[in-house]
Amino acid sequence: MAVWAIPGDMSETTRREPAAAGDPVVEVAGARKTYDLGGTVTALDGVSLSLPGGSYTAVMGPSGSGKSTLLNLIGGLDTPDAGSVRVAGEDLGAVSEDRRAAIRGTEVGFVFQTFNLMPRLTAVENVALPLVFDGWKKSRRLERARDILADVGLGDRLDHRPTELSGGQRQRVAIARALAPDPALVLADEPTGNVDTDTGAGIMGLLADIHADGNTVLLVTHSRRIAEHAERIVHIRDGAIERIEDLSGGV
Amino acid sequence: MDAAETLRIASRSIRAHRLRSALTVLGMVIGIASVIVFATFGASVQAEVVGGIGDTNANNVFVVPAETDQGGPGDFGATGALLFTQVDVDDLRDIEGVRAVIPQGLVPLSSVTYDNRTIGQNQAIATVPETFTGNYVVAGRGFRSNGSELVINRAAADQLAGNDTVGSTVQLTISGERRNVTVVGIVSGTRGGFSAGFGDDTPQFYLPVDPFYTTRARSPSIGADVKVYPQVTVVADPSRVSDVKRSVETYMTEESDAAQRLPEGVEIRVQTSGDIVGEIEELIGQITRFVTGIAVISLVVGAIGIANITLVSVAERTKEIGIMKAVGARNRDVLQMFLTEAVLLGALGAVVGVPLGLAVGWAATAYAEVGFALATDWLLFSVAMGLFVGAVAGIYPAWRASKVDPIDALRYE
Repeated sequence: MAVWAIPGDMSETTRREPAAAGDPVVEVAGARKTYDLGGTVTALDGVSLSLPGGSYTAVMGPSGSGKSTLLNLIGGLDTPDAGSVRVAGEDLGAVSEDRRAAIRGTEVGFVFQTFNLMPRLTAVENVALPLVFDGWKKSRRLERARDILADVGLGDRLDHRPTELSGGQRQRVAIARALAPDPALVLADEPTGNVDTDTGAGIMGLLADIHADGNTVLLVTHSRRIAEHAERIVHIRDGAIERIEDLSGGV
Repeated sequence: MDAAETLRIASRSIRAHRLRSALTVLGMVIGIASVIVFATFGASVQAEVVGGIGDTNANNVFVVPAETDQGGPGDFGATGALLFTQVDVDDLRDIEGVRAVIPQGLVPLSSVTYDNRTIGQNQAIATVPETFTGNYVVAGRGFRSNGSELVINRAAADQLAGNDTVGSTVQLTISGERRNVTVVGIVSGTRGGFSAGFGDDTPQFYLPVDPFYTTRARSPSIGADVKVYPQVTVVADPSRVSDVKRSVETYMTEESDAAQRLPEGVEIRVQTSGDIVGEIEELIGQITRFVTGIAVISLVVGAIGIANITLVSVAERTKEIGIMKAVGARNRDVLQMFLTEAVLLGALGAVVGVPLGLAVGWAATAYAEVGFALATDWLLFSVAMGLFVGAVAGIYPAWRASKVDPIDALRYE
């Protein structure tokens, strides 16, 4: 599969359209983000990146490299100071806050290192939560949540609360929640950071399955071993893309 | 986000902190209940007092002297001045629409003996037979003029021999002269007096003006000594009460003996039952509003409790807010959720507080021996206040929750 990305220092006009895969699901163009922490800190400095539909990309870098900022921008949790971030065709910096929330709910599925499940909701209710905000009918959203939980191997844990589940099971619930709205993009931030190696392997296997089903996956990690599950690795350092490593073997 | 789901999430988070929620609701319950207790009690007292005056005396026009710099209901005969002459009484009878004129005066009793017992009654009210109407007479009948007949109220009858008193003889000493009178009737009140409503507990003796009332003074209009009275009640045709009131006022200020006999600083006040009822209602209403206003303070304290607990709730659930925003919650979804929680606490306060307030209010009226009356407007006010207070108390914490930055919130531990 063709993978395609350009470093931030290249001009817009030189960009090529992705070859084999469909339209890009994510297009970051010249994104810049600075924070004022008693002096301006540049977290991202003109990053451009494109994720074709159905691709599996890992963003790798040490802490402070700007990979979390990039994740926040692509996930619609934050907006760039300059440049643009388009997800599923919508410019996240230009739309209203409400619209951005809706895009987070329907087009982006977050998987966090610390799972971030609602403690008082059961597994099914957690998975159905994005559908609540998307206005699904109760019966429909619970049915969908049950189906996805069964797909990730938790069909027998539907009514358990997060505290009644193991770390690996919690992360599976989180992945199911990310998939519930059938998002354009699954964003996984150190998904194996809080589980042991065996469980982590299981989770990476699940993400591979999700990718195999045609989903676009963006994985953020500092671990080379985890990043190697992806088709390509985007190395990021000091707020800029350092290099892009293609692991798919075909190109 | 639909309302049912919002309600479900809000009630779940309230249930997750049972004790804390219960204490917060308790604050609201106390606030709402105390408003209802005082309002209900006030309304009950008002209904009792007004009801006592209102019904059978609705067409009375009271004519009394009053000091000019005083006012208010119950200020009848404050000066005790003997202003109204028999000439005035007779003239008032001739006014169109007047059905009866009832003068009242006091007869001092130096001793009262019944069945060889001395009774502690030191005065009798001298009046005319028209004062007794059928619905006041409990036993026997009213007295007739010029007879040695006595009518007493129930409290006085209780001092003698109850309803058996009718027909028996009582010895009265009036102006040193001993007289035997026959008890011909027992009444629960009189037309023309205010005893119907709240004077029922005081023993009263009623004697006919003729022959027992002997207080006399010179009438300026006829130049002779005639009977003089401290108080006169005009009973009007019920359909012409206001006309009669105006005519009585005109007569009293322009033609009456009383106007000429008026001392400095005293005026003649002409009031209908309606005027008096209005004044009493106003007075009790003011007291009720004042006391209820104090109770509203406890409602405000309850509201502060809700605001406080909602703020704590927002702080505790910062991470949850971040999660919800990450999975698509808009600011207004978050606002709605916390606001619903606060309003729900207020509503719970109302649901428990209203019955509690009514129960305590009922107990208070039972203790004070007045009939129970609902203060419907205050009842609605309390329920509305519960919801409103919850909303107001919750709006700032909920707004803060909605403004939480999801990135910070997700990092929050």
